[in-house]
Amino acid sequence: MILRVLAVAAAALALAGPAAACAQPKTSLSFLEGQIMCPTCHTTLDMSEAPAAQQIKAQIAKRIAQCWTARQIENELVANFGQGILAAPPHKGFDLLAWWLPIGGVLAGAALLAVGVWRWSRTRPPEDGPVDTEMDARIDELLAGMD
Amino acid sequence: MTRSLKLGGQIVALVAVAGLLALLVWRLTHQSHPPKIGGPAPNFSLKRIDGSGKLDLASLRGKPVVINFWASWCVPCKGEAKLLEQAWNQYRSQGVVFVGVDYHDVASDARTFLSHHGVTYPTVQDGSGMVGDRYGLTGVPETYFVDRGGRLVGSHIIGTITNQVSAFHDGIKAALDQ
Repeated sequence: MILRVLAVAAAALALAGPAAACAQPKTSLSFLEGQIMCPTCHTTLDMSEAPAAQQIKAQIAKRIAQCWTARQIENELVANFGQGILAAPPHKGFDLLAWWLPIGGVLAGAALLAVGVWRWSRTRPPEDGPVDTEMDARIDELLAGMD
Repeated sequence: MTRSLKLGGQIVALVAVAGLLALLVWRLTHQSHPPKIGGPAPNFSLKRIDGSGKLDLASLRGKPVVINFWASWCVPCKGEAKLLEQAWNQYRSQGVVFVGVDYHDVASDARTFLSHHGVTYPTVQDGSGMVGDRYGLTGVPETYFVDRGGRLVGSHIIGTITNQVSAFHDGIKAALDQ
């Protein structure tokens, strides 16, 4: 009897599973729309109403309803459309360069600027030349005459 | 020390500028140009969407080929699907091969499209659009004709064939005649 009840419950769960929408979605369409490109218009999905973009949005919505994670959805789209479907390059392999080069450039620029400012601030004004005693004496004389 | 630092900086800057220039030249010289009628049809080897394995255009050398770029999200493609299938059934006995190239499309939707419209000729997936770009595609649908020697012949059809039926049949005849 118990086995029969368990079997019915398992069958009910198996049948209910695919029909029920994901109770707690693991990602959102609005998030992924900013991460995925429209292949025909070369903007992110949230900026496009092109038919190809609409199709991909529908595909993403379907996967979200099936409780897929953002990573799983992105992987599926990459397998279908290639890496170009991602708005940003992945954080691995050669693509890491795309992330680190700009950061490196900004840091190198900041370092150069800091060195430049430091060197400039240490530059002293040119010292006065040797004292012309003859001229000095004449000026003193002229000043004394004005008194 | 300061002088060597300055010299090093100048060399790095020069190398960076030279690198950027080289990149620009490479980009300009490697831009894809649309293929010319009479010239070789750009080859491709793409995954079949209607079955397993790949289809290589070069393997069809010796046969006239009709290449139709389409997508399931493309409304005019639905309109011409039936005509293409009819033409395939009409010309296949003469050795003509039709190849559908599914451009920038979700594979599952493409399969549904093929099944819904009863398309039976081989169809391959160009998800990244790389092959379409090499053909200089301006959109879908577009149709090209390749002769037995692998050269593009006829005039390639931009847009649906339903409005250009005679040009479509002329293209197939041109591929058969060469």
